[in-house]
Amino acid sequence: MRLADRSLDINKMIVIAVAFVLAATIPFYVPDAFVYLIGLTFLFIILAVSWDVMVGYTGQVNLGHTVFVGIGAYTAALLQVPSRFQGSSLEFLTSMPQPPIFISIIAGGVAAAIIGLGIGIITLRLKGYYFALVTAVLPLVFMQTTFVWSGIFGGEEGFSIGLERVLAETVVGRFYAAFIIMVISLAIMLYVVNSSLGLKFKAIREDQEAAEAAGIDTVKYKLVAFIISSFFGGIAGAAMIHYRITVSPDVYGIPLMLLIILATVIGGLGTIYGSIIGGFLIYLAKYWWLREIIDKVMQAVHLPINDEVILYIILIIIGVAMPGGVYQEIKKRIKR
Amino acid sequence: MLELVLRIIVYGTVVSGIWALVASGFTLIFGVGRMLNFAHGSLFVLSAYFGIVLTKELGVNPYLSFIIAVLLVGVVGVGIYKVTISPIRHHEVMVIIVTLAIALLVEQILLLIFGDYGTSFPSLVKGIVRIGELPVPTKRIVSLIVAIITLILLEIFINKTKTGKSIMASAQDMEAATLMGINVEKVFMLTMFVSSVLAGVGGLLYSQIFSIKPEVAVKALIYAFAIVILGGLGSVRGSIVASFIVGYILITVTSLFGARWSEFTMLLTIIAILIVRPRGLFGVEE
Repeated sequence: MRLADRSLDINKMIVIAVAFVLAATIPFYVPDAFVYLIGLTFLFIILAVSWDVMVGYTGQVNLGHTVFVGIGAYTAALLQVPSRFQGSSLEFLTSMPQPPIFISIIAGGVAAAIIGLGIGIITLRLKGYYFALVTAVLPLVFMQTTFVWSGIFGGEEGFSIGLERVLAETVVGRFYAAFIIMVISLAIMLYVVNSSLGLKFKAIREDQEAAEAAGIDTVKYKLVAFIISSFFGGIAGAAMIHYRITVSPDVYGIPLMLLIILATVIGGLGTIYGSIIGGFLIYLAKYWWLREIIDKVMQAVHLPINDEVILYIILIIIGVAMPGGVYQEIKKRIKR
Repeated sequence: MLELVLRIIVYGTVVSGIWALVASGFTLIFGVGRMLNFAHGSLFVLSAYFGIVLTKELGVNPYLSFIIAVLLVGVVGVGIYKVTISPIRHHEVMVIIVTLAIALLVEQILLLIFGDYGTSFPSLVKGIVRIGELPVPTKRIVSLIVAIITLILLEIFINKTKTGKSIMASAQDMEAATLMGINVEKVFMLTMFVSSVLAGVGGLLYSQIFSIKPEVAVKALIYAFAIVILGGLGSVRGSIVASFIVGYILITVTSLFGARWSEFTMLLTIIAILIVRPRGLFGVEE
């Protein structure tokens, strides 16, 4: 048994090493336009995995993860362009010095974690239903803030942080910056879920009352998971802004939320590696080829279908037919 | 000032009546099956579009369209339950995710067919009634009356009929209900039908007063959330009382500060309730 475990571990290590090398060498054999997209995909993977840390591991459904993406994004953007505060009641902030990019990304994560803490304290002591309901409302409220205070947040169009605040000057440079941010974030999250903390998260997911009886302070650990999850949501949001230089309300959007959910559900909830693969496939599918194909097909048959519709249908089918994720389902079928 | 107060009371009552229908449907299916149906707002919007297509495209009489649309939505609700929720009923996380995906799917398809324009169901009645100084369109009064009648029928159905009692029995203890020979799966389907019909009636009443757009589904869902959290998840009576409280708060805020504050108001209301009284006014045992 031991031996089998170890050989499994070695296989896993080999797969990880190969994936790492493949990912790190992408700019050598992929054209620049796609390198840009794959860099963004890396940041998206952080989102999928950080969502999984909360939802897949503790079983609490967070439908407002994009709130943390948005908070991270706007925090970083406003730190870089403090002149946005001009004419508002926060005018004193305009004289803030511009922090280095590294600091502004961390600040995005911290801001998101603080909001996560606030929301978590109110909702996580209650049953999971309340957490789902409240988090579902949040993105709409935060999106509304960008319109209500459009002087600061730039309304529908958002604003640009300026070319000089970009993650790296060249596309390839940005790609590697995103890659490094992803690797560090994933390493930390993997470490957490494989530690005793992760075991406690899973205990809460399996049976909250039993976990409580075993002496686990469930509220505290749900809160810890949520803070970690929102922190990395914020990190990814902030990094995204430094990657594409503009910030706009779409970072709060429901389409992004659905993409995160879809990536994780396809990969299997609570598996981290599944979310990485799911995130990679789904984000590239959505922004690379799915829309073109659907548009072409729909020109011929005139049905009310676009790429979003297809993604929603995929999510429904996978959610209903293989709630454990595609990989688990295939494994189960093969065993039979 | 007095007129404003009167306006808030009269218009608030009408709107609250509609939200009471939507929220009681949402809370009913939760109370009976512990299922959060995020597609509930879509059923609300769908019935309005069914009614609009029936009257405007197919030339069916509005009263008949009203009834057909409501029944259609009931069937759609049962279909959604049977095909998507029933197989994963015990997987709470997936029920939430899948019904949310259905909600977004419906919204997207409606957007592709009807576009992002407001449209309305034809008024069931014409004319204006004066309440004091305030002119009130008769259709609003009729909406309130229909809403109240529907809620009374729901109350009678649940408490007086045998089927209604079996629904309540399943809500209280599913295992015991099964042992008593109640077919729980059937009860769920029936509850889903009633829940969808309530959303459907609400949607049609709403769309004969206001214009409806695919995105109204989200709005309806959020109001339903706020109401059921205040009323207590799973309590039909609580949600009826709560819908009037939430309705008045909402209409006061929007008539004083503008509609863009409605989401903020709902969120603050929800958070305030969760801090002060998380079980809501009439929370059921979970």
